[in-house]
Amino acid sequence: MTVDWQTIADAFGLGGMYALMAVGIGLVFGVLRLVNFAYGQLVMAGAYSLAFAYERGWPVWVGILLCFAVVIVLSVAMDWVVFRPLRTQTPAVMLVATFAVAFLLQSIALLWFGSLGKIAASLSSLNQPWTVGGVDIRKISIVATVVAAGCLLALVLLLGRTNVGLHMRAAALDFRTARLLGVRANRVIGTAVLLSGLLAATVAVLMTVQTPLVTPDFALRDTILVLAGVVLGGMNRLISATLGGFAIGFASGFLGGALPTNQSQYLPSFLFAAVILVLLIRPGGLFTRFGQQAAERV
Amino acid sequence: MTTPALELDELEVRHGAVQAVRGISLTVDRGEIVGLIGPNGAGKSSTLHAVMGLVPPGGGDVRLHGNSVVGRSPEDVARSGIALVPEGRRIFAELTVDENLRLGSAGRRFGDLDSVYELFPVVRDFRKRHAGALSGGQQQQLAIARALIARPEVLLLDEPSLGLAPQMVDAVFEALAQIRDSGIAILLVEQRAQRTVALADRSHVLANGRLRLTLGPDAANDTETLVSAYLS
Amino acid sequence: MRRARAALELLAPVLLVVLVALFGTIVSSSTQTYVVTTLVNVAIVVALYLFIGNSGVLSFGHISFVAVGAWTAGILSMPASEKPAIMPSLVGFLRDTTVGNVPSLALAAAVGAAYALLVGLPLMRLSGLAAGIATFGVLEITHNVLRYWEKIGPGLNTFSAVPETTGLLQACVGALIAIVVAFAYQWSRYGRMLRATREDPAAARAVGVSVYGQRLLAFTLSGAVAGLAGGLYVHLLPVNAESFYLDLTFITLAMLVIGGATSLWGAVVGAVAVSAVDSFLAEAENGVNVFGRTLDLPSGTRIVVVGTLMALVLILRPAGLTGGRELRVPRALRRSVLTKFSA
Ligand SMILES: Nc1ncnc2c1ncn2[C@@H]1O[C@H](COP(=O)(O)OP(=O)(O)OP(=O)(O)O)[C@@H](O)[C@H]1O
Ligand SMILES: [Mg+2]
Repeated sequence: MTVDWQTIADAFGLGGMYALMAVGIGLVFGVLRLVNFAYGQLVMAGAYSLAFAYERGWPVWVGILLCFAVVIVLSVAMDWVVFRPLRTQTPAVMLVATFAVAFLLQSIALLWFGSLGKIAASLSSLNQPWTVGGVDIRKISIVATVVAAGCLLALVLLLGRTNVGLHMRAAALDFRTARLLGVRANRVIGTAVLLSGLLAATVAVLMTVQTPLVTPDFALRDTILVLAGVVLGGMNRLISATLGGFAIGFASGFLGGALPTNQSQYLPSFLFAAVILVLLIRPGGLFTRFGQQAAERV
Repeated sequence: MTTPALELDELEVRHGAVQAVRGISLTVDRGEIVGLIGPNGAGKSSTLHAVMGLVPPGGGDVRLHGNSVVGRSPEDVARSGIALVPEGRRIFAELTVDENLRLGSAGRRFGDLDSVYELFPVVRDFRKRHAGALSGGQQQQLAIARALIARPEVLLLDEPSLGLAPQMVDAVFEALAQIRDSGIAILLVEQRAQRTVALADRSHVLANGRLRLTLGPDAANDTETLVSAYLS
Repeated sequence: MRRARAALELLAPVLLVVLVALFGTIVSSSTQTYVVTTLVNVAIVVALYLFIGNSGVLSFGHISFVAVGAWTAGILSMPASEKPAIMPSLVGFLRDTTVGNVPSLALAAAVGAAYALLVGLPLMRLSGLAAGIATFGVLEITHNVLRYWEKIGPGLNTFSAVPETTGLLQACVGALIAIVVAFAYQWSRYGRMLRATREDPAAARAVGVSVYGQRLLAFTLSGAVAGLAGGLYVHLLPVNAESFYLDLTFITLAMLVIGGATSLWGAVVGAVAVSAVDSFLAEAENGVNVFGRTLDLPSGTRIVVVGTLMALVLILRPAGLTGGRELRVPRALRRSVLTKFSA
């Protein structure tokens, strides 16, 4: 095993990005009891927007703006076209449906942009190292960690200090009672979808720095891992889902960097074996107090 | 004649094949408590759910100050001034008492905390605590306080005395009397028939989805009438 | 009447499959490959139906059983002389054993069943979302292991040199076996018990049905059918670990959902209809002649179309094209037949 500071910093960066994705998935799950398998395709769409802007030589901020606009429009559209009509279905049906949407979006990308991939390298200067205390660390690892921490903090404030945050928390706990008190279902769901879109766009910007080649399956692997992490942590609570996402990102970043390939290649198997074990033994997740079960909406 | 605050007009509720409510009509005025009593499965909760828009009524109408609220979503009904204290209290155990109260005003202006605190001092004393840490009676008080905070015109309660110790029931019923006197229309669903009949301005007995009988407060001590009403 | 219903329930899908196979005999050999693939897909979707349709529990894991079946049949039927080139690290026993076509298919089914049983023992306690995610985990693990473990297969290599015995006949027979197994199961008392647990688990438990046991039985049986389909697959095309992963999971689930997940007829109709659309589009991606015009679709169109279809069906008609019901004789016809008999 070879561990250096760069590996640790990378692991933090990846953990941060996965934590953001976990929050994005967890927010929507909280209010809709819907596991959005197509979350990664939001990130993919954002990455293509960045590549689109880069190809045309547009300034960085225009690319980022475009990325946010596209991802938000797409996530709102997904909500209207898919989530809302399916709201009364069982979580399993919704999972199948978002699985279909994921494939659909991926092949639309294939149709439009081809399988070769596009380059989004407008922020590639962030791959240069910073020297921190005599150690060289790539800027993006630090930027990703800081941005993730900032987003999470902002979210904690939003959920904890504002009325709409309170309404979202209440809706995640007991949607029916929340509505009886006057909490607007559509508003709460819309906010969750919007926030999860914002997070996906942020992740797209960070991820293209490390992976500037954007292909139709961009962020697919990551989504699958994040979903595993969310289940591991406990998807019924945002905090445990986020921790789960971070843990899985950190673990795959760290072990992927530190272990030789012939050992790290089986990492997914171990992760998913752990997921299955957790589902069997502690359905509420690892990071929840004992006895809290993952409730499905009735 | 003025229009009543709440008016149910031949209301019907169906759950799939089960017809839970078969056309009931009643009115509740400002400053009035109307009791709705009846055995398990009579259709009491179904009636309240239909008023709130949680289940679409199978027929009939629900009017607030003469305006139909049928077809609105639960949040819109709540926003138009009808509050429900649901069966089993349904407080948010993992949120603080304060947050529960704030949720109560989700749909409307933030009402006046002081009068709610005055009515239920425990709610003020424990405001920073998790609501789940309160006793059953305190939770019931919180649930009523939460419904009142938005200053509804009509207050619906679904078995508020369920599972409470006798002194606690006294406290809750005492509070209901005060709420009535502040000018709110109250529809009280209960299983404790005698106490409800004694408190309410009039009480309807519901069985099998139909109103069987209407009793005034003077019938409270007439055990025979009560029992036969239940058995009819 | 019950008899007649049962006969129709079996005959309708059998006839459809036979018709598809007959259609395969009159088309060009390049089109025939699509027909054969369609028939193999029927077997996979029927396997999915056997478990998902009867139990109402979601599974993303069945393609693992297809993969395991393909590995079994592929490794065991590849000529010994070819093995070292493609699978240099194969363990001795697998390296030295070679079996014929039919035994390789039977073994594929057996291994599929065994693997499903192994997986099902812990997993059949789950339902709903948890079952969906856990079975997805099975898919991930199986794919990951098959991809890298070169002692038991070709790893990243492709299964070339496996005898290509899956032609029209073999595929048709395979699909028919799958249909007959699924039919026999759903008319057995086990099948009826499992469907009772789908409608109302609590009530089924109350009358003494073991939900866990019944699900495990169906899961194992569907593992066998999926394993058989995997065997058919490896004898049809040169496959590798990527052939049995998300894409195949998606497309076969789409077939089941589009056809109607709760009936055998729905499963077969879905498999045939979606395969037909898919084949046509695949061909069109290479350019085809339609009514004298050349249609040349960009690659990726297939999944866009199938994905859209699936999403539309889920949103607009969640019970699928067939409404999730077995084929019935139209009521008017039935009445006229009945009156004739009673007169
Ligand atoms: N969601 C539902 N689905 C099907 N049937 C229901 C549903 N809710 C209520 N019912 C049926 O409707 C009838 C009336 O139920 P309701 O809950 O209104 O009774 P209730 O008077 O409130 O009884 P209790 O005193 O036990 O609370 C009952 O027969 C019940 O089984
Ligand atoms: Mg009730």
